Amino acid sequence: MTARDPLQFRLQVPFPCSREAQIAHDTLSPDAEPRKGGVCKTLSVTDNVLHVHWRADEARILRVSVSSFLEHLSLVVQTMDRFGPALPDS
Amino acid sequence: MTIVLGFEGSANKIGVGIVQDGKVLSNPRRTYITPPGQGFMPSDTARHHRSCILDVLKEALEEANVQPKDIDCVAYTKGPGMGAPLLSVAIVARTVAQLWRKPLLGVNHCIGHIEMGRLITGAKNPTVLYVSGGNTQVIAYSEHRYRIFGETIDIAVGNCLDRFARVLKISNDPSPGYNIEQMAKKGKKFVELPYTVKGMDVSFSGILSYTEDVAHKMLSSGECTPEDLCFSLQETLFSMLVETTERAMAHCGSQEVLIVGGVGCNLRLQEMMEIMCKERGAKLFATDERFCIDNGAMIAQAGWEMFRSGQITSLQDSWITQRYRTDEVEVTWRD
Repeated sequence: MTARDPLQFRLQVPFPCSREAQIAHDTLSPDAEPRKGGVCKTLSVTDNVLHVHWRADEARILRVSVSSFLEHLSLVVQTMDRFGPALPDS
Repeated sequence: MTIVLGFEGSANKIGVGIVQDGKVLSNPRRTYITPPGQGFMPSDTARHHRSCILDVLKEALEEANVQPKDIDCVAYTKGPGMGAPLLSVAIVARTVAQLWRKPLLGVNHCIGHIEMGRLITGAKNPTVLYVSGGNTQVIAYSEHRYRIFGETIDIAVGNCLDRFARVLKISNDPSPGYNIEQMAKKGKKFVELPYTVKGMDVSFSGILSYTEDVAHKMLSSGECTPEDLCFSLQETLFSMLVETTERAMAHCGSQEVLIVGGVGCNLRLQEMMEIMCKERGAKLFATDERFCIDNGAMIAQAGWEMFRSGQITSLQDSWITQRYRTDEVEVTWRD
């Protein structure tokens, strides 16, 4: 591959409501990718959808980051299913 | 009345505990046990924790007879420990804290051990020996910090025991250290091993590689038995720990010793420490495997102290960290 542009990957995860999307966002945001890891991940929320955007130098590194993110996302969703629903704004 | 929920999963144990004003309401735990000869890898351990953490949480709530609305704060282990397991557990803690609208609190794992030990034993201001699979430290409290007086300069004492167990293919169920302790009781011959105390610090890696080198030769020649090796290893390692603990006590003028961490439930270590304490007119405090070995209640208890003194952790600051020294934490809950 001669191109120097990074690889990109976009993921959109719809939740039943915006509060759950925000909870997932705030749960999955605090831990940054390693600074020199060659991968950068940004999370955002619009309405009930969690958006994740990756930029990476190599497919190998991108795969590891995406797959571990999906594991964690699945854990958040399972936790919501068993210990939700989210309490409304007080 | 303050009720704190605590999550712990920095190594191969996953625990969820609930503490209410000095009382442990529940403290269920699961252990990821690997086959003999194998250690636990971060990703496999994290997978284990993810697969059972929600069941353990449910168990903790039911056993304590506590509803989410009764909880005041959600505490979790921020570090130190293995990254992947820490993160999996932190993710569940963050999610339930938000679902239930509770404040979150990131707890230093070592502080959890110390506060649990103080709660259970009632030790007031002890010199602390913190010994586990990942940590070996001699600690004393002064001026709002738990200060490290001595520590290992390479591997933890529990790591030395675990890896020695792998050499002899000793079972990891319920833990390698427990099985070494049982075998050591039948040991008759003391095999001399390197004894490495350097000032206030200790070193275990040389002892491990020496035993790795000679074990099979000595065993096949019939020079000693596996039981003799277990016995000799324990005597050597624990003597080093007792020596440095005694020196810290002399330095601080302390009359109390508290042993915490997974290796702390070893009765031979407690017995050796007791002998030293008797000679100095000091008192030994130790707990059993329910509270020595990693558990959720210890994180809840340290969290309880921190929360009551006004600390909380914002979500954006709730990142986990593999390295987190005991003396980095400002102890806001003690005079």
